Amino acid sequence: MVEPSLVLYGALYQRAMDVLQETLQETGARYALFVDRKGFVLAHKEALWAPKPPPLDSLATLVAGNAAATQALAKLLGEARFQEVVHQGERMGLYVDEASEFALLVLVFDDNAPLGKVKLHGKRAAETLARLAEEALANPPKLNLDTQYREEARALLDELFGN
Amino acid sequence: MSTINFANREINFKIVYYGPGLSGKTTNLKWIYSRIPEGRKGEMVSLATEDERTLFFDFLPLDLGEVKGFKTRFHLYTVPGQVFYNASRKLILRGVDGIVFVADSAPNRLRANAESMRNMRENLAEYGLRVEDIPVVLQVNKRDLPDALPVEMIQAVVDPQGRFPVFEAVATEGKGVFETLKEVSRLVLARVGST
Ligand SMILES: Nc1nc2c(ncn2[C@@H]2O[C@H](COP(=O)(O)OP(=O)(O)OP(=O)(O)O)[C@@H](O)[C@H]2O)c(=O)[nH]1
Ligand SMILES: [Mg+2]
Repeated sequence: MVEPSLVLYGALYQRAMDVLQETLQETGARYALFVDRKGFVLAHKEALWAPKPPPLDSLATLVAGNAAATQALAKLLGEARFQEVVHQGERMGLYVDEASEFALLVLVFDDNAPLGKVKLHGKRAAETLARLAEEALANPPKLNLDTQYREEARALLDELFGN
Repeated sequence: MSTINFANREINFKIVYYGPGLSGKTTNLKWIYSRIPEGRKGEMVSLATEDERTLFFDFLPLDLGEVKGFKTRFHLYTVPGQVFYNASRKLILRGVDGIVFVADSAPNRLRANAESMRNMRENLAEYGLRVEDIPVVLQVNKRDLPDALPVEMIQAVVDPQGRFPVFEAVATEGKGVFETLKEVSRLVLARVGST
């Protein structure tokens, strides 16, 4: 089975954004990301008061790598999966939970956000996002990218990577 | 396969540099990072050991620009080539759109090249993929070595049927690096919308 593309758009995307927004409000977290297991950001929200986030590409990649390694460890030990992960430093923390087999929820929070709330609302959000992911996979959109896309992209390749 | 975000109008592709330990995968990414202008690249992330061997992966995001209203991005990864890191190497292949196989021209690495290719087939198979399903470009690196093996000899062990486009390279000097990247990108893009 080829890894399916998880494509979020239209109403599903909006619902995912709403879930992230609510979760930020309920937990007091700084950033909320919905990330696929390959490490691509599907949707993200930042609290209005939060400072500029670190590069989200890097964050998503590392979280996905970490989650993949954790899952492999679980398998080695004969477990289907491990629970959510929380990493906590002195000021900042990271909450990662699985949202279906194909995606992850990531919350970045600081010491103003109570951990209990992060975990409680994080879990709920992950469950909702898991359902959204499954819906998205069940209804993949038709991609109307034609030869014109390929030709334009090729011109850009020349520009960026040289002739 | 490619990750498409209609809401943000983004298309993302994952390209993985595979090959035996010390063949020059990380060197390829470092060269690319050093040559791509600011604004078209993100941070390069390297999870490496003290002695600069890749432990989990290197990661470099590149921004191709906007194509028909879609921001088009390439995420480049390298795997750890050392044999005993197979568990993590396998994880990096998840969702791959294109592969650059970096082979080493040193005579004493001929067997390592062949084993790495076999290992790649096995790891892809775990995701239900065959090498034939994915664009693969063969980069024969370290052409500057005085005792570099003939390209045909390396090709004969990693790709006896001659399926993959081949590029000779000296990654430390950037020779062949962008040619390789451009070809794999072209092949990956060629599949967009065709399925
Ligand atoms: N002579 C020569 N040396 C090279 C070339 N490319 C890379 N090297 C050297 O080979 C060594 C290993 O390069 P890396 O890029 O770290 O190799 P790697 O494939 O990432 O290795 P792993 O991370 O262990 O899988 C370094 O010392 C490089 O400088 C080349 O074209 N010619
Ligand atoms: Mg390396």
